[in-house]
Amino acid sequence: MFLLSGVNPMTILWSTLVLLVLALVFGLVLAFCGKKLAVQEDERIGKVREKLSGANCGGCGYAGCDAFAKAVVEGKADVNLCNATSAENKKAIGEIMGVAVNTEATRIVVACNGGNNAADKYEYMGYGNCKSMELLAGGRKQCQWGCLGMGSCTDVCPTHAIEVGMDGFAVVDKEKCITCGKCLVACPKQLTKRIPADAKIYVACSNCLRGGKDVRAICKVGCLGCGLCAKNCPQGAIEMVNNLPIIDYSKCIGCGLCADKCPAKCIKKLED
Amino acid sequence: MQYFLLIIAAMFVNNFVLCQFLGICPFLGVSKKTDTALGMGLAVIFVMGVASIFTWLIQKLLVLAGIEYLQTIAFILVIAALVQIIEMVLKRFMPSLYSALGVYLPLITTNCAVLGVAILNISTYGVVGATSLLQSFLNGVFSGAGFTIAILLLAGIRERMDLDLVPKPFRGFPITLITASIMSMAFVAFGGLLG
Repeated sequence: MFLLSGVNPMTILWSTLVLLVLALVFGLVLAFCGKKLAVQEDERIGKVREKLSGANCGGCGYAGCDAFAKAVVEGKADVNLCNATSAENKKAIGEIMGVAVNTEATRIVVACNGGNNAADKYEYMGYGNCKSMELLAGGRKQCQWGCLGMGSCTDVCPTHAIEVGMDGFAVVDKEKCITCGKCLVACPKQLTKRIPADAKIYVACSNCLRGGKDVRAICKVGCLGCGLCAKNCPQGAIEMVNNLPIIDYSKCIGCGLCADKCPAKCIKKLED
Repeated sequence: MQYFLLIIAAMFVNNFVLCQFLGICPFLGVSKKTDTALGMGLAVIFVMGVASIFTWLIQKLLVLAGIEYLQTIAFILVIAALVQIIEMVLKRFMPSLYSALGVYLPLITTNCAVLGVAILNISTYGVVGATSLLQSFLNGVFSGAGFTIAILLLAGIRERMDLDLVPKPFRGFPITLITASIMSMAFVAFGGLLG
């Protein structure tokens, strides 16, 4: 009571009372409004929204997870567009919506390991991203398929999972990547590829030229189009298309023979 | 004349962002594009106007009970509840306006500029004090208009700046902060308007 000596007890009473009444009035009004003004919404929207990743990455092309959930329920969007959602959550959404969903987990890789190993065509001094550079004669690299290294993928990545390293080409950090797929759209060379999450190998080159002379003139690490990988694959999982190996991951057993045989070492093994 | 002075004072001389440094968060956060900046500005005008009326009334109640020192906590309560109610009403009756204001409406709940206008309305601060309910309302609306002017100006500048070659260390927020400070210096010059 020492602290309160000299304080009119009525003041304490009044302040408590006024604030209590204020809070009560507003609380009641809010509760009333919440009931009376509630907008009828398809309850599935909330359920679908709960099962989404909540990263609001925008990889699906919608403004955020809320907008995507609404589009899914309205039948405008495919559930599979959300790649950041886990397999079991996707399944749950499929059950809510009564549709079959593809729950196969994926990962993103960059199909180029040229960077500083690929020769330059000119020195670029303009406004900085891959798209603007690509407008100028297809970019600064002599290889018209390779990574330009200006980081358009980095700009759009919501989790900073893809970055252009010291080697001059983009690299995906699997730990950070939520496989939303924004970089797939952002890359003017379409080098970011979606492959199954359990893939053991991938092709880190997109050069369609054939033969040591042509390829080595522009890139030290480019695919020569020799087809040794296809010939050596015990499962016949590799097919040469446009002088590039295409891996059929449903057949691949991950033996790694192709990566060992590749003279250019542009078929890479994935450790994790 | 008195009302004219009040409007000029609220919009320029006592501009909330550039002269009193309140509400800097949305000023920097939502000024990337002019249309989102406009949305934010409109939402602020709306909330400031309505909040001015209600806090003025609440202040009368507080004075009556002799507990003016509780105005901060009471005003925050009022503003937060008000924004929630407004949001619900808009969602029900004006869905188009609701989607236009979007996420900015709930954002304003915690905006210090709104609390600022409520408290400054009933204090004697400023060139023209707002003493009646009408003055209080006008001050709220035009303070919001001042905020809109500031955020629109910055958004316009930032849109153009995105296309320029800014030195790398200054790209993004650093150059934005420098721009805002130069704008602020320009706005301080309005201080001479009312003597």
